[in-house]
Order: sequence, then structure tokens, then C-alpha cells
Amino acid sequence: MSDQTIAAGERAVTRSRTRPEANRDENLLEVEDLSVSFVRRGAQPVRAVDGVSFVVRPGQIVGIVGESGSGKSVTSLAVMGLLPQRGVVASGQIRYRGQDLLTLGAKKLSDLRGREIAMVFQDPMSSLNPVIPIGTQVTEVLLRHFDVSRGEARAEAEHLLRRVGIPDPGRRLKEYPHQLSGGMRQRALIAIALACKPALLICDEPTTALDVTIQAQVLELLKELVNDLDTAMVMITHDLGVVAGLCDFVNVMYAGRVVESAPRHELFAHPRHRYTEGLLASMPRLDHPRTEPLRPIRGTPRDIVSWTKACAFAPRCDHADEACMSPDLELVLDGPGEHRMRCVHPAPLASDVADDD
Amino acid sequence: MTEGADKVAGEPAKLLEVTGLEVHFPIRRGVVIDRTVGHVRAVDGVDLSVGRGQTFGLVGESGCGKSTLGRAILRLEQPTAGRVVFDGQDVASLKAEPLRRLRRRMQMVFQDPLSSLNPRQSVESLLTEPLRVHGLSAEDLQTYGKDSARAHAAKAAAMLEVVGLPGSSMSRYPHEFSGGQRQRVGIARAIVLNPDLVIADEPVSALDVSVQAQVINLLEDLQKLLGLTYLVIAHDLAVVRHISDTVGVMYLGRLAEVASSDDLYERPLHPYTIALMSAIPIPDPEIEDARERILLPGDLPSPANPPSGCRFHTRCPFRQPTRCHDEEPELREIPDLAAGRQVACHWASEIASGAVGVAEPELLVEPTSS
Amino acid sequence: MTILDAEQGPIDEGLFDPPAGDERGTSLWQGAFRRLRRNPSAIVGAVIVVAFVLVAIFAPVLAPYEPAGTQWISQVTPSSVPGPSPGHLLGLDSFGSDMLTQLIYGARQSLIIGVVSTTIGLLGGAVLGLIAGGLGGWWDTGVMRIVDILLSIPSLLLAVSIAAVMGRNPFAIMIAIGAAQVPIFARLLRGSMLGQRRQDYVLAATSLGLRQRRIVMSHVLPNSLGPVIVQATLVLATAIIEVAALSYLGLGSADPAIAEWGRMLVKAQDRLQSDPRLAILPGICIAITALGFTLFGEALREALDPKSRR
Repeated sequence: MSDQTIAAGERAVTRSRTRPEANRDENLLEVEDLSVSFVRRGAQPVRAVDGVSFVVRPGQIVGIVGESGSGKSVTSLAVMGLLPQRGVVASGQIRYRGQDLLTLGAKKLSDLRGREIAMVFQDPMSSLNPVIPIGTQVTEVLLRHFDVSRGEARAEAEHLLRRVGIPDPGRRLKEYPHQLSGGMRQRALIAIALACKPALLICDEPTTALDVTIQAQVLELLKELVNDLDTAMVMITHDLGVVAGLCDFVNVMYAGRVVESAPRHELFAHPRHRYTEGLLASMPRLDHPRTEPLRPIRGTPRDIVSWTKACAFAPRCDHADEACMSPDLELVLDGPGEHRMRCVHPAPLASDVADDD
Repeated sequence: MTEGADKVAGEPAKLLEVTGLEVHFPIRRGVVIDRTVGHVRAVDGVDLSVGRGQTFGLVGESGCGKSTLGRAILRLEQPTAGRVVFDGQDVASLKAEPLRRLRRRMQMVFQDPLSSLNPRQSVESLLTEPLRVHGLSAEDLQTYGKDSARAHAAKAAAMLEVVGLPGSSMSRYPHEFSGGQRQRVGIARAIVLNPDLVIADEPVSALDVSVQAQVINLLEDLQKLLGLTYLVIAHDLAVVRHISDTVGVMYLGRLAEVASSDDLYERPLHPYTIALMSAIPIPDPEIEDARERILLPGDLPSPANPPSGCRFHTRCPFRQPTRCHDEEPELREIPDLAAGRQVACHWASEIASGAVGVAEPELLVEPTSS
Repeated sequence: MTILDAEQGPIDEGLFDPPAGDERGTSLWQGAFRRLRRNPSAIVGAVIVVAFVLVAIFAPVLAPYEPAGTQWISQVTPSSVPGPSPGHLLGLDSFGSDMLTQLIYGARQSLIIGVVSTTIGLLGGAVLGLIAGGLGGWWDTGVMRIVDILLSIPSLLLAVSIAAVMGRNPFAIMIAIGAAQVPIFARLLRGSMLGQRRQDYVLAATSLGLRQRRIVMSHVLPNSLGPVIVQATLVLATAIIEVAALSYLGLGSADPAIAEWGRMLVKAQDRLQSDPRLAILPGICIAITALGFTLFGEALREALDPKSRR
């Protein structure tokens, strides 16, 4: 597949970019102190995201890892400006090339969305419109953001589908989402997201609904595309394995806050936060002896205390003591490559978890 | 088809023996009267056996028929052909009433604990209902006295403790628990009748990563405690490898390879297993960067119309010009190559020796690190 | 999909040992009742419904006069009916009875007809739905074809035919209204049961060795009742309106001594110009009662299925 698709990809990228050239040293996206609360009638507001900060440089792949309720998906929706209008309070800043997306007008935001920032969702079936042919869904993005004719848009859509490895794209353009397999739908969604060659691609669990072999295809495709188009990517996932093979920099979230962030090699070689460490120890791994017992984290992600009182992970942590009960622990710099963590009793550096042959 | 199964050497007592099992679902179309226009061959000739006290892991991707196989073994789906011999009785041909009574000995743990627990039943009602239907088992009669609401409640409370839930959970309802706790309730219900066989269909895939290990450990502890025999069905090879003694890899309704867990992961023989293993992300960047990956082209073919010859030949990276497309490979032992394991590939020996390699180089993703 | 992320993990402070505490669990019915109590439109609906039921039950105590007393007929002239006065707070009706008394006794009549006809529709529909949804196969096909035929007959026509056959008898109107609801309840229950039968817990019950009858009756049926109960409250409202409609068509009870809102509307027709009060008052009663049942029914729907809310 790749011979053909790479050739098509080269054609596809020849379209000139109209946005300012990326400055390598400049941050593409700066999320600073982002908080999102959900307010519901007759209930305490729920703070889903709580003071999250991270940066994405051009061409960089940044991972956000967490379980359900960690706030990772809400973070991505906030960046896309897709949070519901009612019942949501967001504060902090999301600066894209210096513009704060949280305060940007709806019109400007929608110009940016799809054109500069695109998103790939977990469930390709519900994020594609079931009654519109795939082709129209791709061309409508192009027509919305570029001054192109229908014929040109159609030709470009065909290139895009071929580029993402959909065989016989001419025919597929006329088909409806339900006629495609899950993997093909996710490819179509990626084609739509990449139609305008965005500078930033946000992927929310893009492979969770897919089988392993299809997941491998899609991840390989994403890697290739990001490389070729020089697109930066935010990868939101619960799967540490996906992160390990893909991301340049990883943020681990728990109960709405980033608890640890580091470049991927550093993070997996020296997980410092007890949650990261616990997650890695609790997963059955193909690279470890089969009989090695799993060391689960006790409790469930629902057993949390408020960060304003203590470390939210303390109820589940084997190392928790009085010191962990102090409010609003800091995310402190500790270790090479901007390794930061929010933990009173971090795992000692000597324990080399990634001690494999 | 049955020869392969008979050759599996080893353990004396087989609790479960499946031979030539097929489950075909009719595809019906029609305006007024439905006509059968074809069949989905969800399970299409599977042989497997599970020794008492052992764990057989069944892996495969969605649509491979692994869940249908599990349900057909419990006869929650009616098999189209084949035998399911459970402790000497053929479940597949048993009449309704004897089957209903046999059910106490074979239980199931479901993937989604929320939908598999009746939302209107309290935990107590959920756990005592099987006892109200079947009564306490012989050994429980000695422990808890004769069947009564009190004895049933006592047994239910004991099970709750075994699965690690507080006694106060008894009066609660499924929606009041977290996913992991709900799965514990589902497991408690499955073991309350003291079954011999438990079929667990994706028991952890709906749970949070940090909770999965708790449930895996619980299943392992229960096996030791109660001497259970497991058939664990999952798509996650790492989970299956961890929990199983023997693993069967399923593709499009048939077993592609059966081997002991350690053998399989050390040296996969079937091209599908090889590709599947190489596709699993490992949470270690060093390994991820260094490993070679074999990508499978395309998607799973339709089980209504499986490819001729070897079912995997349309996607196989090692496909050969002969045999693959016109001759269906038997699941067989290759003594020269590897004793005690079975593989359904014409070229397994050649692939293992390196004589046959990946035919299309672009399907091979080279390591990223130099 | 993603908002769930926030909702699935409510940040319960200090929940170290779940499920915490010694309080008993909350069943789905209890949970629905709690949601119902918090919903303002449920409260309004419930207040109206309760008031209506109380008025119907205590009609003899509340009404200032005996029903159908025509002792003031002399005050009624062909051109005018006496309006409100200290003795008759809402005035007289065209037969010379006290309006307030007639309205209060009319509530009683409406309640009886509404409840009885809804019960007929509910029971008939439930039996058919249970056969279709519980037995499945040919039973399902057979019953549903009958239901389809029933559905294809306009309900008013069906009611008129039944009333015509049975004559002007108070039961006729109830049976007529109830029968028209049978196919609706049958479809609803069957659909709901088929949806529930696909759930894993039914498979789990089978794997536990429960008998088919028990699975249907004690697992599938209770989980399928929610939409049927909601429909019943809504049907109560329409039944009251339909009674009025059938009375208007002259199919109501033959006994003029029984006060009934629908017939009051009918009788007010010829005096609509001179005394609109005669039509407006029973009209308001019908509207408010129907509104009460509808509000309560809709709130019940939300309470039983919180997901339907967004």
C-alpha cells in the first residue's frame, strides 16, 4: 500500500500552505492553567480539568494519558472549542500561535477549526454523518476553507483517501459510512481531518474501537502522515503502549490534573509518580515473564479526594502518608528533559522499571 | 477434522472437549416472507479441549467468532453441527431440562457487567437467584444447612467476601458500583453454584486499566481456591497470555494455532499469530523503537463468504503462490517443528526456518531507531 | 461521548471505601422517585392530579348542592342563564343546576371513565404485548398482525362502532376508548421487551439455568414496564378528552342526571353566544386535568429514563 500512498501524499502536500511558516522554536499550542467545571442543576460543580498546562511545538507528538474521569477528553474538547455552551465553566488560557482560543469569537474559532486544528474522534461511526457520502464529507471541508472549485475539491478528496490507504478511492467517495469497515471509517475520518493539512491534529482515542492489527495500521498511518505533513499531534489515550511507540512527550493525567510529564523515553525508563508506576506494574506485558504477578492499583478511579485537600491518588496509593494530605501539591521539575511530577513520595530513581534485554 | 484434537497429548482428564463445532447464522431477506439467502459462518469447525483445572485462552479480533464459540459451548447459541462434550455429556444434543440442570456446573462471566446484571435486582437477589433455582450444592448443604432463604443469603455473603466486596454491598444495586466492583458481582454470581467450568468473555476489556489487574488476579485466585476450569475469551493477547495455560488463536471462525501460552508467545508459528503479536503495542519505548512490525493489509473478510483455501490467505504477508488459495490447511501438529502444539498453515515449517519470508516488503515496518 | 468522561467519575470527596456507609442501596424505582421529587413539572402535575382525584372522591362533601338538581330551572330563560351569585358561585347551567356542583361531580365521572378505559387498554395491550414479546416466533408475528389491523382502524371510528353496538351505556364508552388503546399498549410493551431481551442479563439468566417463563416474567417484564406506565398516564389524559369528544358526538351516557364535562360542553353549544361561561368552565376543567396527567407522565418518563433528558 505505501508505495502508492506515498506518491499520492507527495502530490497532496504540494498544495501551497497559506499560513505563516512554522517557527521551530515557537510553541504551536500553549495550554496554561486550563480548568473546566461542569455545573449541574442541584449538584456540586464537577471540576473535570483542574489547572492543566502543556505545550505542543510544531511537528511534535504530545500524549495525554489517563483513565476514565481523568479529564483527558474534556481537555481535548476545550482545545477544539467543542465544550457545550451551557453548564460549563472554563478558565485559563489555550493559546494557539498566540491567540487565546477560549476568548476567540465563534466565527474566528470556526475558521481555525478544520483549517488549522483538526480532530479525530474515537468512534468513527458516530463522528461521520451517516446520510452523507464520504466524498461529500471530505470535499465540504475543502470547500469551506479553500477557494477551490467542486471539481478540484473532488480530485483532492480522491488523493486524500488514497493517501490514507483506502483502496479504490474513486468508488469509495460515493459510498456511505456504513458501507465501510471500522478501520476504513477511521481512515476516512483521518482523511477529513487532514484535508486542510492542519498544523495541529488532536486525536481522541483514535484506535480504541479498533482491533489490534487495524490499530497497528492506523497508528503507522498517523506516524507517517505527521512526518510527511509536519503536523503536530495531541494524542489522547488510555493505552500506555500506544504512547510508548508514538509520542515525543507524555502527560499523565489523574483526576483532572497532570501528575507527571516527561519525554517518553524518560517517562517509561523512570516513572516517578506512584500512579504512573502503578499503571505500568499492573499491566500484563508481553515483554515480561508470564508468571510475573500483576501488582494492581487498589480501588477504582472513582476513589479520589479533592486536590484542594490532598493528593487525589492518595486513597489508592501504597506510599501515601500524612505528608500526602497537604493541599494543592505542586508539579515540580525533577529529572532530565523537563521531567515533572506531582508526588510527595516519588519512586526512587534507582528502580529501573524498563530493565529489559 | 477431529484427528487434530485427539493428538493433543498430555493431561488425563479433559473437562471440556469440543469437536467440529459449527455455528452458522442464517441471513434472511424478504418483504413478507423471509427467505434464507446465505449463512454467516461465525464458528466453522473448531476442535479444542480443556483439561480440568486448566485455563484455555481464546484470542482473536472482533468478528472472528470467539464469543459465539463461547456461547455455543454453553448452548446459549444453538450449534449447527459438532459436539461439545462436558464431563462426558454432549451439551450440544442435550434436551432442555437436563441442559437446564447441567447449567449449574458451567457458568459465564460477561464483558459488560452493567448490562449483564439485571438493573432492578439487588446484589443479594442477584446472588441468591441461582440458588433459588438450583439449590445449594452438596458440599454447601453441609456448610450452610438445607436450602432456605437464610442459607442462601449466607452462601451469597460468603461469595461476596471471596470476590472482595464489603458485606454492605448486599442491599445495593448494580448502578451503584464502579465497573470493577460490578464485575466482581458478576464473578460472584458465576461461582455461587460452585461450577466446574467458567467461560469468561472479555472479562476485563470494559474496565479501566488500573482496575483490570485486580480482576485478573481475582480470577486467578478463585481458580486456585475453587479448582475452576476457565475458558477465557479476549482480544487482548497480553491478558490472555498472562492468565492461560493454553492459547488458541482464532481467525474467521477457525483456530489458526493452538499452543501452550509460553510456546505461543516465544515462537508464534502461524503468520496471523506472528502479525498479531507484532501489532501489540508494548509500553516500553526502547522495545517499540527496536521491534519489527508486520502490518496486515486490508480488513477481515466477511464470515458469510470466507476466502477459499486458507482463510487467512487474502491478508497473509507470507502468502505463497501454491496451496494457500485452494487448499484449506488442517489444524495439525508438526512434530519436526514443534511438539505438543498445533498450527493450521501449509508453510509453518518453512516460515519458522526462514525459507519463506514476508512476500511484500512494504508490509514490514522496520525499527525506527538505528 | 466525551462529556461522559466527566460524569462517570463524580468527584466524591473522601469516598475511600466504596460503597461507603451502612445505608441501604437505592433501587431504580427509588432513584426514579427521587428524580421525580426534584422535578418541578412533576410536582405541578402531581398536585393537579391529586387535587382532581380528591375532588372526584369527595364530590358529595365538596359540592354545595345535590347533583342534577334542576330546582332553579325557573330562573333559566331561553335567552339567558343566571351568572355567578352568592348562592351559586359559578352560576347555573342551562338545565337550572348549580354549575359548581355539576363540575365537581363531572370530575368523578371523568376519573371513573379515564381510569377504567385506560385499565382496559393497558390490560388488553399488556396481554397481547406479553404474548408477542415473551413467546416470540410465530406468536409474535400472529399477534402483531392483529395489532396492525387494529391500528389501521381510526380509533374514533372504532369507538363509535363499539358504542353503537353496545348502545348508550356508560360501559360502552369506556370499552370503546380502552379498546382503541389496546394496539398502542401492545406495540409499546412488545418493543420494550424485545429491546430488553437483547440485553446480556437475559443471556446471563439463561446461563444460570432459569426457566424461560421466569426469565420473561421476573426479568424482562419489570424492565420493560417503564414506557408502558408512562404511556398509561398520558392515555389517562387523552381518555378524558375522548370522553368529552364522544359525548359531544352524542355517544355518551344516556342518563342526564350524571354530570359529565363533555356533555356539559355539548349542551353549552346553543348558548355559546349569550353565555360562553357554560362552555369555558368545563373546557378549563378538561384542559387542566389533561395537562396535569401529561405533565406528570412526561416527568415520569424522564425519571424512569434519565438518559432521555438531553
